[in-house]
This record gives sequence, structure tokens and C-alpha cells, in this order.
Amino acid sequence: MSGKDRIEIFPSRMAQTIMKARLKGAQTGRNLLKKKSDALTLRFRQILKKIIETKMLMGEVMREAAFSLAEAKFTAGDFSTTVIQNVNKAQVKIRAKKDNVAGVTLPVFEHYHEGTDSYELTGLARGGEQLAKLKRNYAKAVELLVELASLQSSFPGLNVLLLISSQSWMRESEKSSTG
Amino acid sequence: MLEGAELYFNVDHGYLEGLVRGCKASLLTQQDYINLVQCETLEDLKIHLQTTDYGNFLANQTNPLTVSKIDTEMRKRLCGEFEYFRNHSLEPLSTFLTYMTCSYMIDNVILLMNGALQKKSVKEILGKCHPLGRFTEMEAVNIAETPSDLFNAILVETPLAPFFQDCMSENALDELNIELLRNKLYKSYLETFYKFCKNHGDVTAEVMCPILEFEADRRAFIITLNSFGTELSKEDRETLYPTFGKLYPEGLRLLAQAEDFDQMKSIVDHYVVYKPLFEAVGGSGGKTLEDVFYEREVQMNVLAFNRQFHYGVFYAYVKLKEQEMRNIVWIAECISQRHRTKINSYIPIL
Repeated sequence: MSGKDRIEIFPSRMAQTIMKARLKGAQTGRNLLKKKSDALTLRFRQILKKIIETKMLMGEVMREAAFSLAEAKFTAGDFSTTVIQNVNKAQVKIRAKKDNVAGVTLPVFEHYHEGTDSYELTGLARGGEQLAKLKRNYAKAVELLVELASLQSSFPGLNVLLLISSQSWMRESEKSSTG
Repeated sequence: MLEGAELYFNVDHGYLEGLVRGCKASLLTQQDYINLVQCETLEDLKIHLQTTDYGNFLANQTNPLTVSKIDTEMRKRLCGEFEYFRNHSLEPLSTFLTYMTCSYMIDNVILLMNGALQKKSVKEILGKCHPLGRFTEMEAVNIAETPSDLFNAILVETPLAPFFQDCMSENALDELNIELLRNKLYKSYLETFYKFCKNHGDVTAEVMCPILEFEADRRAFIITLNSFGTELSKEDRETLYPTFGKLYPEGLRLLAQAEDFDQMKSIVDHYVVYKPLFEAVGGSGGKTLEDVFYEREVQMNVLAFNRQFHYGVFYAYVKLKEQEMRNIVWIAECISQRHRTKINSYIPIL
């Protein structure tokens, strides 16, 4: 028993009852902390798995999209300047929402479509089919990117929280083992 | 035009026809394509191209070699050849060659108009313009404030003026969707070109008119196919069809009413020439309608060289060279992206 952890108490019945209540409170707190740390770990593992899966899928999807760009260029010629010049409003936008995990809020990004396709008539005379395929492929890539961004932004936050809560739990376990 | 081009053609145009036939003989053959397809890297591709007529055109490029560099260099080469033809040509061949450049000019003008509307700097747009479509008033485009200014001050001097007049009154230039404008200009251009070839008569008309008719029909089909599911109304669609060709007028009227690909196919049943093309769509190679049309265009262009004493050889050569450029860029992209499954989907020429 270390000196500074000793609580100075007057030996009486009431003091004992109070102490027991305090002990119970501390134990409940410690269990809750453990539960929180477990939930966070679980969530953490899930996110990690999802990140790995999404990154692998990302490689495939980007490859496919880049190839469909080559196909479109083969049939439609060079439409890059037309596309770049006609940019005005974004069609795919992101909403940031908050998600609650074991009392901790994490950011989640969600994409939504707004507005019409301003490039509907590009490639009307040549390569329209390939351009449509190209648009679909890159839309898929963008959606996947949004998902990945959402996962990766919650990752460090979750990491820190996990560390904090596991540290608190360690401190609590020390206290309760010596108390 | 006097009949009997054999007697008079060589006086004015014999040298250039000989030259263009020589250029045509240096197009890549099937064996060349087989060699290119087997390359593992772009450096290999460059080495193989050195053995063909392309020679050392990539010699001055710094590392790393990219597909866009290859594309730019090939285009520069083609432009050099074309400018040489144009500078040495006499009438009416020079008018013919000017007509050929009009299609690139239309693209450039649309690009410049768009850029001017969005207040972009003219220099950067000029860099992106197609070199074959260069015209002298290009730099002056940023002076114009509105599209009608643009038309009055600048475009009136170019060969494109009659196409703009055909399409619309100047007031409508502001609101019109840029793609619709592009397609209307192109339609007007094709019709004028067709008339020119027809009036010229003789072998040129016999060779060029079928090619241009095919181009008109092809545009009608592709515009119809690509307008399914878009906001383009049927009346608007009909205004974009060129008014000549095998489909004119009944086929075009039917096409304007078509709602999907199967209806288009049933319309085509009346036209013996196009029926086998539509049958070839889909199939084992996953060919699209556009691929099938490209192949047919290449066939017609190659056949143009079987006759002598006409201007069609110049048109055919430029089109074949462009297809060859597209093929090489395709093979280069497949190699650089290491996506070799479809590397054989280029269009063979010879």
C-alpha cells in the first residue's frame, strides 16, 4: 500500500457505509469504462477492415475508370477541353453527419446528387455510349472515395479515444487493485 | 467541269496526288500492328515506330514518354504533311482542302466561343485548338464581348460564315446550347461540302459523294442513338440530321420518331447497305455501333485509292491517318495502363 493512495478516514460505521458506496461507484465506473473501451475497439476493428476492403476496391475501380477514359478517347476524340470549359456546378455533393459510438461522436460523410447532368449532350455525334460508360465508372469511383474519406476521417479520432479510454481504464484498474 | 479528268488532272494536281499516294503507302500494316501490340513498355513502342515511316519523330522527347506526347507529335506530323499539300495546291483542290479543315475549325470556334463566354485567357485556349483548324482570325476572338459581336466581327471572314447563317439568326447565338450549335454547324458544313463535290462532278463526285453520304447517315444514326434518355426532343433531333444521304428523307423522318435501339434496327431493315452493319453490333467482340461504323468508314476510304485523278485521295488519306493515330494511341494506352485484354480492339486499316 503506497502512502499517497491512503485515504484518511475516521473509523466509524457511517464512514464504512460511505466507503462501500464509493467503492461500488468506482467499480461501476470501471466496468462502464471497460465496456466503452471494448465497444470502441470493436468499432475500430470494423472500420479498419472496411478501410482495407475499400482501398483494394478503389484500386480496381480507378483502373477500370482510367481504361474507360482511354476507350472514350478512342471513339470520341479529345473531349477534355470541352469538359473542363463547361464546369459550373457540382453534381455530387457531400453532407457531413455525426455518428454516436459509445458516447463519442464521429464524422460520417454522405454523398447526394443535385442538379442535372450538364454534359448530357457531349458526344452526341461521336462516342456518346463510351462517354456514358465513362461517367458511370467515375461516379462509382467518386462514391467510393467519399466512403473511404468518411472511414479515414473517423479513424484517427477513434484511435485517440481508444487510447484515452484504455489509459483511463488502466489507471482505474491500478487504483482498484491497490485500494 | 470538263469530263475526262485523265486529260487535265495531272497538269495541276499530279504532283500532289503522287505525293499523297506515297504517304498512303507508308501507313502501318497489319504486321506493324502485331509488333506494336507485343510491346511491353512505351519505350518499346517508340523503338518499333522508328522502323516504320514515323522514324525518329519521338527522338527529342524527354523522359518519361507519355501517351499524350506521342499523340501530339503524331498530330504535328500530320499537320505538317497537310500544310504542305495545301500550300502547293491550286484551285479547285485548295477549296477542297479548305473544306476538309472546316470540321476542325468548327470545333476550334466552339472552343473559343466557350472560352470567351467564360472570360478565359485566349492563349491557353489557343494551345488546345486543333492545328488543322487554324484560321487567321483566331487570336482576335477575345475582343468580342458577346457571341453576336464575335460573329459580326470575326467569323464573317472565315469559311465558316455560311454555316452560321444557315443555322440561325444572330440573336439566337446566345441561348443556344453549345453542343446543339456544334452539331448544327457540322450538318450545314456537310451539306455544303456535299454540294461542292457534286457540282465538281467527274471522278471526285463519284468517289466523295458516297463517302459523304455515309458520313451523313452515320451521324443521323449516332445522334439518334445518343439522344435516347436525354432531354433532346424529337424535333430538335430532326434538325440535326444532314439532309442528304441514303436515309433522306423517309429514313430520317422514321429515325426522328425512334425511341430505342430496336426501333432503329427495324428502320434499318429497309436499307440493305446498313442492315449487315447493325447485325454486327454486339456479337462476340462486344462491338458497338460506332466501332462498326468506323470499320466501314476505313473500308470506304481505302477503296478511294483504287481510282485515279480525283481529290478523294486527300480526304481518304487524312481520315486513314487519323484512324491510325487513334489506333496507336489506343495501343499505347493499353500498354501504359497494363490493361491488355482489349488491346486488339484497334481498327485495322491495310
